[in-house]
Amino acid sequence: MIKKHLQALSEKSVEIVSIISAVILWQLIAVYIVQNKFYLPSFTDVTFAFLEIIAKDAKLSFLGLDYQLPVLLVDLLYSLMHFWIGLLSALIIGIPVGMIMGWFRTIDRIVDPLIEIIRPIPPLAWIPFAIIWIGLNPLAAGFLIFIGAVFPIIINTFTGFKSVSRVYVEAAKVLGCNTDRELIRYVALPYALPSIAAGIRIAMGVGWMCLVAAEMFGVSRNGLGYKIWHHYYLHNMDLVLVYMLILGFLGLLIDRLLRYYVDGKLLKWRKGVVI
Amino acid sequence: MNYKQTIKLTSTLFFVFALIAAVFISGCTEQPTEQEEGQAATITELTFGYQPSTHQIAYITARDKGWWAEDLAPYGIVEINDNLFPTGAPEMQSMLAGDIDVAYVGAAPVISALASGLDAKIVAAVQIQGSDIVLRTELPYESPEDLRGLKIATFPPGTIQDTLLKNWLKENGIDPEEDVEILGMGPGDAMTAISAGQVDAVFLPHPAPAMIESEGTGRSVVSSGEMLQDHACCVVAVSGELIREHPDIVQQIVETHVRATEYNSENLDEAAQIFADDQDWDVELVKQSLNEWDGTWVADPNLIINSTVDYAQVQYELGYISTPLTQDDIFDLSFYEALDQ
Repeated sequence: MIKKHLQALSEKSVEIVSIISAVILWQLIAVYIVQNKFYLPSFTDVTFAFLEIIAKDAKLSFLGLDYQLPVLLVDLLYSLMHFWIGLLSALIIGIPVGMIMGWFRTIDRIVDPLIEIIRPIPPLAWIPFAIIWIGLNPLAAGFLIFIGAVFPIIINTFTGFKSVSRVYVEAAKVLGCNTDRELIRYVALPYALPSIAAGIRIAMGVGWMCLVAAEMFGVSRNGLGYKIWHHYYLHNMDLVLVYMLILGFLGLLIDRLLRYYVDGKLLKWRKGVVI
Repeated sequence: MNYKQTIKLTSTLFFVFALIAAVFISGCTEQPTEQEEGQAATITELTFGYQPSTHQIAYITARDKGWWAEDLAPYGIVEINDNLFPTGAPEMQSMLAGDIDVAYVGAAPVISALASGLDAKIVAAVQIQGSDIVLRTELPYESPEDLRGLKIATFPPGTIQDTLLKNWLKENGIDPEEDVEILGMGPGDAMTAISAGQVDAVFLPHPAPAMIESEGTGRSVVSSGEMLQDHACCVVAVSGELIREHPDIVQQIVETHVRATEYNSENLDEAAQIFADDQDWDVELVKQSLNEWDGTWVADPNLIINSTVDYAQVQYELGYISTPLTQDDIFDLSFYEALDQ
């Protein structure tokens, strides 16, 4: 049993050494070179700041009731709420729009120029309209995340549909698929799934990055992004770094979960096709 | 990857790490020589920070009239830069990073920055009072109790407005955490929020209250002077390095600031025009703001010592800073006092 664990550990030795080396290097640079917690808090500064956060409680109001929970958990719940509002909206709108654009050329010609004009506008620039149109509530934060996430989904879905081979379409027609609905359902959608999955993965990364902007204009008094701004205003750079790292780790976790379910379950048939 | 390859890669990584660490520890921490220190002491440019409010017109007036350049040239200053900040918090962040030598900024952000290790001192006052609570037109107001349950937008934590508002609410028996919802925002976002009916009130420095009133979406119900009479607001903060190495330059900065402050007080219309030109505001609106506000441009730091030290205590009680600061931690009065001699 122990031998098995040691074997597993030795297989991961390169990754472990890489992380440990980076942490030691970070600590040495912060303590001996930079020597200023404001410019670069050391690993130990960040660890103590993390322990400080862990010990704090915050109030979570839900369905008219107040719950006293660890502040980190409350921040996480708020951020996940903002994130999922944005991402689910992006999926619900982005995938059908991308499919329709990819399948119907006229619709593509109508919608494409509009998308190409709106797409380069950064989510931050939408803050004034988020306040005016939606208000200071979680939906406004979700709106900014939606803006960041929807375009990768549209573009990738469109690309997936656009690249469906004519041979498959004609073969499907010969086999009895005659309507657009049937062709999309049985040919284009399965063919485009890997591309759509890649788009969702990019969108999740972008949406997670937009979280910091989405929580900076007063939509809530909790959230991982909000806390970065809050501690930045008070110059607590160690706490800023703690929340940045938590955002990074959670982003990684969400990406791994998506890859596990999409690559491991939904696109299981591709194993051996590509790698 | 087999066992041998893993060992090889591991030892390579450790070797690289040790090499980098050795270089950093041995070479880069060397102290500068006396000659290098002497060279570093000579400066030819200064960077100011300021914010888009009528509180800080003294800086803009002195800049537009060429007084900074003219007065500081004899001290070797050939270039004066400035940066505009939405609120005091990012301005102090910039000063902490060493990018700003002289800041026109609220006294409260200076306190939170000093508590975070900022090497600087307040050398002059800029103005007292001058912010208003603006309530949406349709909401009634007779006493602070009417604010209970409302959503109020103000500047972010650690700023004058945030500190003053929370302290005033507490003094009036309203818990700033439980009884009202205070949202930290920049001036543009807060004005947008009240104009769009997304918040019930804002607490902002002038001229923002005048702008909201002119739109008809809100009305000023409490001036900051009613919250704390003659309270400190904006100040001139100078980096510790500049104070220690170039006290003559700091002395001149204070003199020029006093000149601009007095000039603005005597030429209100021109001051309004200078601000309107700098920020693309309607000059009539700025004049209206300057006639209606309860603020006063002052340069004497002695007038704001007590309220500034009080802010430090309030910030300590709010948990923003870990230790309360004293007058000596915050002020260097010597430059202003030297003006009388």
